[in-house]
Amino acid sequence: MAESQSELDVLVQRVVKDITNAFKRNPNIDEIGVIPCPEGRYNRSPIVVVENKLGVESWCVKFLLPYVHHKVLLYRQRKNWLDKEALVDITSTLLLLNPDVTTAWNVRKELIQSGVLKAEKDLYLGKLALTKFPKSPETWIHRRWVLQQILRRLSAVDCDGKQQQGEAERAAVERSQQFSYHFAQLLHKELNVCSDAACSYPSNYNAWSHRIWVLQHMAKGNVKVFHDELSTTRQWVSMHVSDHSGFHYRQFLLQELIEEFSLTPAPSKNCSPLHQSMPRTCFLPSISVLANGEQSGIQTIDEDERELDLAKLFELFHQEMELCSDLIRSFPGHETLWSHRRHVFYLWHQWRWEHQLYFNCNGSTVLCNIGDTDQLKQGGQGSGDCGAGSMEVDGISLPDSRDSKRLKRGFRLSNPPSLSSECTFLSTILDRQCNPEQRHFGLAYKKWLESVIGKEL
Amino acid sequence: MGSLNYIQGETGTQVKDVFISPDAPHTLLLDKHADYIAAYGSKKDDYEYTLSEYLRMSGIYWGLTVMDLMSQLPRMNRQEIVDFITACQHECGGVGASIGHDPHLLYTLSAVQILCLYDSVDALDVDKIVEYVKGLQQADGSFAGDKWGEIDTRFSFCAVATLSLLGKMDAIDVDKAVEFVLSCMNFDGGFGCRPGSESHAGQIYCCTGFLSLTGQLHQLNADLLGWWLCERQLPSGGLNGRPEKLPDVCYSWWVLASLRIIGKIHWIDKDKLRSFILACQDEETGGFADRPGDMVDPFHTLFGIAGLSLLGDEKIKAVNPVLCMPEDVLQKLGLKPELLS
Repeated sequence: MAESQSELDVLVQRVVKDITNAFKRNPNIDEIGVIPCPEGRYNRSPIVVVENKLGVESWCVKFLLPYVHHKVLLYRQRKNWLDKEALVDITSTLLLLNPDVTTAWNVRKELIQSGVLKAEKDLYLGKLALTKFPKSPETWIHRRWVLQQILRRLSAVDCDGKQQQGEAERAAVERSQQFSYHFAQLLHKELNVCSDAACSYPSNYNAWSHRIWVLQHMAKGNVKVFHDELSTTRQWVSMHVSDHSGFHYRQFLLQELIEEFSLTPAPSKNCSPLHQSMPRTCFLPSISVLANGEQSGIQTIDEDERELDLAKLFELFHQEMELCSDLIRSFPGHETLWSHRRHVFYLWHQWRWEHQLYFNCNGSTVLCNIGDTDQLKQGGQGSGDCGAGSMEVDGISLPDSRDSKRLKRGFRLSNPPSLSSECTFLSTILDRQCNPEQRHFGLAYKKWLESVIGKEL
Repeated sequence: MGSLNYIQGETGTQVKDVFISPDAPHTLLLDKHADYIAAYGSKKDDYEYTLSEYLRMSGIYWGLTVMDLMSQLPRMNRQEIVDFITACQHECGGVGASIGHDPHLLYTLSAVQILCLYDSVDALDVDKIVEYVKGLQQADGSFAGDKWGEIDTRFSFCAVATLSLLGKMDAIDVDKAVEFVLSCMNFDGGFGCRPGSESHAGQIYCCTGFLSLTGQLHQLNADLLGWWLCERQLPSGGLNGRPEKLPDVCYSWWVLASLRIIGKIHWIDKDKLRSFILACQDEETGGFADRPGDMVDPFHTLFGIAGLSLLGDEKIKAVNPVLCMPEDVLQKLGLKPELLS
């Protein structure tokens, strides 16, 4: 190709136009890619759309990228004027080819701020870029900025509504419901973007840490969302047993749920979200008005509630350890699974010690009595003498699960992990004819239990 | 990509690692690397050049630092580089990756590092840089990477590294900055990009480097962190950045430098790591790749050479594990970041 500069300009401008038109004609394009194709064919556009997939023939990328790149940078240096529409098209083409050009995303941030570009457009553009570049740090960074703009806008509408009275109040309630609906949709779509990127690249740090950010900013305190996430990712991690980031996400979920069940009073969660006035400075929706309008947290802090939460907490730990045991047995020799086991056990260990202190200081409703910790120091062998019927968990005796009131309510306390249950598990793994990697990781876990957990007791 | 093999365990388990072939390079090819870096950039076409322009300033830092470590800095065009950096500073004080690119802490640090190599920090408006860095600190002590507000522990490192090179650490609220970084510490002793994020060798390097520069290394759990870092070494000798990832020369540097900072470098098998790094050289073109047999680049070339320096190679200048710069440059600046022994 020995085109002159002006011929090249014409060609590239046509390609940019073709891309823009492809998106106009096919608003549901859901993936982008480069089609290997060393030479262009006369009179045929290098832009191809098949079944909502947009392909760019490879021969034109090496002309297209430098062209749009220089255009954007000349504009940034005020050396070349571009009208808003052209700027939107050029930056979009550049970012689909190279989504780590921070400056191009920044140009679009300014277009969003000035009202020229809808913020939602960039959630879509970013999603497309991630289909080809699932790790692209700048794309994830831009998404977080865009999401904050949208959240700010949504909650401004919600806050305005809450200050109305009478007739206007009803309209405000309606708006608030719409807000909840939009919010739930936004959250759902964002979690899907994270899932897609996690599937396209193993242990995708950026995708999973974005997902954590999304929950921290869009679902803080919403127990339902956290529970849903725990169940949807259960299947996923079972099929991706090497994906450390996926397992870390579950550790994050567990930690957040533990905090929710931490049995400390949380009076702010008692108010009805729709009638609660929101502080002006708070741009994020109130923690309770989230997906499905579900309310979260503990409504009243009485003994029964606390015991119910305790039972749920035990169940969470029990299930996670069971999942981890199953996976370790089915997929021997995966470091990720053993690392997960450490973290879950550590979370449990930490919770137990924090709450031992809490109950000691609080002194009101003593759910857990502090037992003698000596047996742990002896390596967690066997259970201590803590009276018939009550459950022994590494030195803390828990309420009798046969208690009539709990039976009536259908409570059943699951076995939480303990050092002795871990020793038993390890002996079943190490006694068998296990492969060298499994043995290596199992022994490392044993050493970790002895030196990290054992030392703290 | 013949090296990117999976080693089959005896019972069929796949350990993610590479196989180092017996004819892989095992001696250091310093001259080749110097030639590779000296020629890099001059033979790039428009396409390749624009593809990486968004990180040009860091690219120059990698190239110049590795040349300095090999005592070859005079081969580079000093005046051209200094003028380029001056042209990348913005009115707000921040520096962009290249001319016309928006300012960011990442490239502000790279620019300051390069100018320290050249003893020409005055080519930038230092007071404005200090104002820029200061302005990015948030109420919780964290740092945004630029005016758009993204938060990451990497940016906390960039902020304190820039200010310590300029001798202006007192411009920010150091206590608050430390508080934020410590809030990103995980149960395994490691750090992630934000509170609650997964431990990652790159972020750990930034956070241990940050704590070193702020004199707060005692806040680390060095035994626990050292444990996690040592577990990054694979049978090939290379280090990965997280469990079940492939070994990589750049992660080898981040893990090794972190181990050096916390005084646990003797906890890994240094000879095996050295063999892995040497095997990542390209005998024909010069330069280092991420793994044996892959394409070389200046980024992995710096971290290969810097890693070998930390491992004690006497043909290379001593490198500082915190700032990834030659020790003699830091000595001239009177900088001696804290290290645990």
